[in-house]
This record gives sequence, C-alpha cells and structure tokens, in this order.
Amino acid sequence: MSERARLLAPLLLVIALAVAWQLPGADWLRLSDPDPGDAERITATLGTLGDEPLVLVGFDADIGTYAEIRPTVRSLIADLLAREARLAFVSLTAEGRALATAELGRLGRGEANPTRLLDLGFIPGAEAGLVDLTRELRVSDTADSAFAREVGVAGIGAFDAVLVIGGNDLGPRSWIEQVAPRIGEIPFLAVTPTVLLPEVQPYLAGGALEAVLATPRAGAAYRESLDLGNLARLTDPIEPRPLPVLIGMLIAVAVLGQALGARAVDSLRAARSREAG
Amino acid sequence: MRRPTLTALVVLVGLLLIADLLVVNTAVAQAAGIVIDAAILVAAGAALAAVAALGARRIADLWRRRGDPVAAVFVLVGMFLMLAAGLRPGSAGTADPAVQWLVAALLVPIGASLFGLLFVTTLAAARRSLAARSREGTVLVAAALLTTILLVPLAGGIGSWMADSAGWLLAGPIGAVFRGLLIGIGLLTAVYAARTLLGMAAADE
Repeated sequence: MSERARLLAPLLLVIALAVAWQLPGADWLRLSDPDPGDAERITATLGTLGDEPLVLVGFDADIGTYAEIRPTVRSLIADLLAREARLAFVSLTAEGRALATAELGRLGRGEANPTRLLDLGFIPGAEAGLVDLTRELRVSDTADSAFAREVGVAGIGAFDAVLVIGGNDLGPRSWIEQVAPRIGEIPFLAVTPTVLLPEVQPYLAGGALEAVLATPRAGAAYRESLDLGNLARLTDPIEPRPLPVLIGMLIAVAVLGQALGARAVDSLRAARSREAG
Repeated sequence: MRRPTLTALVVLVGLLLIADLLVVNTAVAQAAGIVIDAAILVAAGAALAAVAALGARRIADLWRRRGDPVAAVFVLVGMFLMLAAGLRPGSAGTADPAVQWLVAALLVPIGASLFGLLFVTTLAAARRSLAARSREGTVLVAAALLTTILLVPLAGGIGSWMADSAGWLLAGPIGAVFRGLLIGIGLLTAVYAARTLLGMAAADE
C-alpha cells in the first residue's frame, strides 16, 4: 500500500461511516438478538424486586468498551427509575468513577429524581474495596436524603439487588467472588462488554448471576422491549445505527480476508515450487 | 534472597482473611478489617504516587528539554485544571459541575476516541501477524474473520442463523479457550500463593 493510500484509508473510513450514519435505516438489517432470552431474563428479574427497590450499582465500566454497553446501561438505569427503584452508585476503578460521574451528571441534567440517586463515590483497592463495602458503606456527609440515611444505617444489607456495570478492569466475577459470599442472597445483575462473556457465562449458568446483558445484540433486544414513557429522555437520544456497524464490519472482513487470501496464495505457491523443485 | 518476615506476613494475612470468610467471630472480623483497610490505603497511596510520579516526570521532561514538550504541557495543564476544579475553595469535589464537565466533555470522549483507533490498529496488527507467516497468527485472524462475518447484523432467517452460530461460537469454542486461560491463571495463582504461604518460594521470586 502506498504512503498516500495509507493516509487516505482512515479518512475514507470516517467519511463512509459518516455518510452511512445519515442514511435511513434498512429493513434487511437488524441489530437486536432474534432470541430475546437475555432481555426477558433481566426484565423478569427486575419484576421480582418489589416496590421501590434499593439497587447498588457497581459502576466499573472502562472507557475502551463503554461505547459498546452505554445505550444499554442508560436504558437499564432509566428502566430501574421507571420502576421507582433507588440507585446507589459506587466505583472501584478510576475509569469507572469517571464514567459514573459523567452518567450521574447526565442524569442530573435529565432531571432524574435526585432523591432516588445516591453517589457513594470511589473506593480504591479493587477486590479489597469490594470486601470493605460489605462491611461498611460510607455515605458522604453532604448526602442527607432518606435514602442516604437508610444506606448509612443498614449498609449493603439495605439493598434488594446489585447491578454490576462491568469493564476490563473489574467485572461481575469480582463481585460474585468477593461480595456474594459475604451478604444475604440478593439477585446480581450485570451489563458487560462482549469480551467478558466467557468469564461471566459460568456464573450465569450456575445461578450466581441472575441475568446478564453481555452482547450488543442482547442489549438491543432489551432496549427494544422497553416502554419508558417520560423517562425515555434518560436513554440515548439516538439508537446505534446498523448500517455504519455493517460498513465497519465489512471493511474489517475485507481487510482480514484479503490478508488471509494473500497468505493462502503464498503458501500454495511455496508448496508448488517445492513440488516442482 | 528469601525474606522470612515477608513470608510470615503473607501467611498471617492469608489465614486471617480465610478465617474471616469461614468463621463468624467479632475479633477475627475486626482484625481482617484492619488488614483490608491497610490494603485499601496502600492502593490509594499507590494510585496517588503514580499520578504524582507522572506529573514529576513531565515537569522534569520540560525542565531538561527531553521527550515531547507539547504532550508534557497537555498532561500538566490537564492535571492542574482537574485539581483546580475539584479542590478550589467552595468546590463540591467530584460532584462539582466543573469536574463533571471536564470528565464528560473532555476526558471520556478523548479516551473513547483513542480506543476507537483500535479498529484501525487492530486490523493493522492482524495484517502484520499474517505477514510474519505465524501459524498462530493465521488461526487467530481466521477465527476473528469467521466471528465478524457471523456477527453481521442481518435480519430474517439468515440473520437469525448467523446470530445463533455467532452465539454458539462465542459461548462454545471461543469461550472455552478464554475460560481455559482463566483457569490456568487461577491454578498458577493458587500454586504460587500456596508456595508463598508454605515458604517454598524460590530465591529469585
């Protein structure tokens, strides 16, 4: 590839994606999972939480993979608020804390009911921090809502469910290993990027995790199933478009396919020349 | 060189934490709590030290005119802005609107953009691994190509079949490889921990 083509290729990619983003949707493309089992499982679990449940949100997404789960995370938070849940956010990684801060700020701008939100901040120490929060949950002095007082008194025992927003640094596995054995039986839910699927699946199959949304397709199926009414303002304003996704994937397929094809042709030529020799 | 004090400390802490998990006892729980608090303080201290070291390194780069001065200035200005927004008198700390704006409008988008470049760099790395004629690289790229094709978001019967196949591929063979790696890492960690607990670590460990 010439130097000019090497420089132009990323630019052309960006232009192609921008054009695809503007084009209308196509019926022959579908982002959501044809089997909505994961979405139904998480909805069913939320339905069992009772009135005004208290949910501890372990927000430890990482910046690299958050774009994959962001629409689903925002929809799930809106869904929980629509079910009148009260959400306490805690982070054990620096990136998770930055993203949680951004999401809490966004919820504030979206005029989410502030009495239903509680920021428990950042606990350093990763796994040690998880063990620590099973012993004591420190509520900020500035948080004076009834929700904050309830959490301050009862600690982690106040919560009806744990929702883990996982990332590469800390995910549901750490929560199940460090927190689940130390507290009573409450449902653990998770939203994770696809890269965590292999380590999450055994916990889901074993029942330690009640429900997981771990692929973009499962997330899209869950978002399609929601009817949030007025709280739809808290979700992403624009759903991910399948056409730019398709174009990106086709470019990846073309690049990888060309390289693999060239490698196969080289191997064949080498084999034939050995035979001829 | 073997350090018996360190080994004894690790043995003590390990046994204490295991006892705290298995036995309901106030004294043990309090002792374990002290250890966990210490671990958290060390982690917090290490994080702060890392940030301070980064700042000191960039200042030294500028002072000695080495490295990339523009990058050093950006890092230092970014650190100063974040510290000023969070620590200035009257600030609400991480809940302060200025901090939230810096995070939501600058930090997260910049970080996400950098990771977005992975699309290009990963493809380039895949091509390089094939150009190096590595057999493992060929298998890796072929698996990536197959998975990517199956994940193409088509509707209809073909799309459902491809989605099911991709799900099976992720949950079955690819998941098995990942889990195998995780189990291997877990076993190695357990063996190393047991060796440390029993004082059997090699001299160079």
